[in-house]
Amino acid sequence: MNIIIHDLSNEQFHSLFPKINDDVYIISDSGSIRHCIGCFGCWIKTPGNCVLKDGYDDMGELISKSKKVTVISQCYYGCYSPFVKNVLDRSISWLLPFFKIRNNETHHKRRYQNNMELAVHFYGENITTEERETAEKLVKANCVNFDVKNYHISFSNSLEKLYREVTDI
Amino acid sequence: MKICIINGSPKASKSTSELLIEYLLTFIKGKNVVTYNVCRADLSKTQFSQIQNNDVLIFAFPLYIDSLNSQLLRFLIELERRGFSNNNITVYCLINNGFYEGRQNYIAADIMKNWCNAVGLTYGQTLGIGAGEMLTFIKDVPLGHGPNKSIGIALQKLSNNILSLNKGEDLFVSPNWPRFLWKIASSLCFWYPRAKENGLKRKRLKDKVN
Repeated sequence: MNIIIHDLSNEQFHSLFPKINDDVYIISDSGSIRHCIGCFGCWIKTPGNCVLKDGYDDMGELISKSKKVTVISQCYYGCYSPFVKNVLDRSISWLLPFFKIRNNETHHKRRYQNNMELAVHFYGENITTEERETAEKLVKANCVNFDVKNYHISFSNSLEKLYREVTDI
Repeated sequence: MKICIINGSPKASKSTSELLIEYLLTFIKGKNVVTYNVCRADLSKTQFSQIQNNDVLIFAFPLYIDSLNSQLLRFLIELERRGFSNNNITVYCLINNGFYEGRQNYIAADIMKNWCNAVGLTYGQTLGIGAGEMLTFIKDVPLGHGPNKSIGIALQKLSNNILSLNKGEDLFVSPNWPRFLWKIASSLCFWYPRAKENGLKRKRLKDKVN
């Protein structure tokens, strides 16, 4: 299975990508997502599952079944959009609370053994050079934390360019 | 000098950000300081106005997935939308992360710099602190001493810059405590006891959901 996490409206998304592969699971903004409250419940209360039951509580499990995660996000200050960031914040159940040393830094051990690819497609009309550099560092750091070996990152200043970047969904 | 501290921790219980704000307040005693937690309640128009009219804005928050949590991010976007008629504000950040290395907060600091550029405010400095969850365990150790030595020294430098509205290079520190001991203690003193409180045995923490 592949996952797409995006912050486009459903209309925009289906207009841009009318044909989606059958094995793709789409995570979009239904308006019901709740913020991660930093309770660590997904680690020490209901391991592997978020305690907030809002339809976005099984992100760790979903990621564990994926070969590729594609993120389509507006770029804010070199970060993801709030919705996409919200989904990522709710995904830490893919990891364990325990630590290991990687690149001489501490990072969490993984709960699952699936190896996924990550493709992040940022879009926005006025992404500055600094924001772009920050976003590149952010995605790279995310890959270290989620043990992702292969990743791709793109920036588009319009939805038309975004459409051309996102080719394999 | 008017100072506004934004607590960007989404935690319902007492957070490390709250503890760090308490520490910082001891260095900036006597100043006109107001604190808001932007993750717990929606702010009123008056409160937004108070945030927009200060000499100093200090953001204290935890690192979430190498950056800012989504709630704080939404708040920053809202602040940009509302704009700042007074651009004479210097922004400082106090970021903590769950990993040992304070250095891992550097991307969040960069995001805050980019936000300052977007809204036209002056970026002052960030202090990024590692091993955040450990700080409550050593809160009785005086700042500047023992495991709180580096944190105390760094907080002093940050507050000196805040009080003089100076810019400074970002500071990244970890408690003065060996990393391997911190790593062992994180399991034995933090994760396992908290799981036990929830009636879970240790091995259950590694459960997979299928």
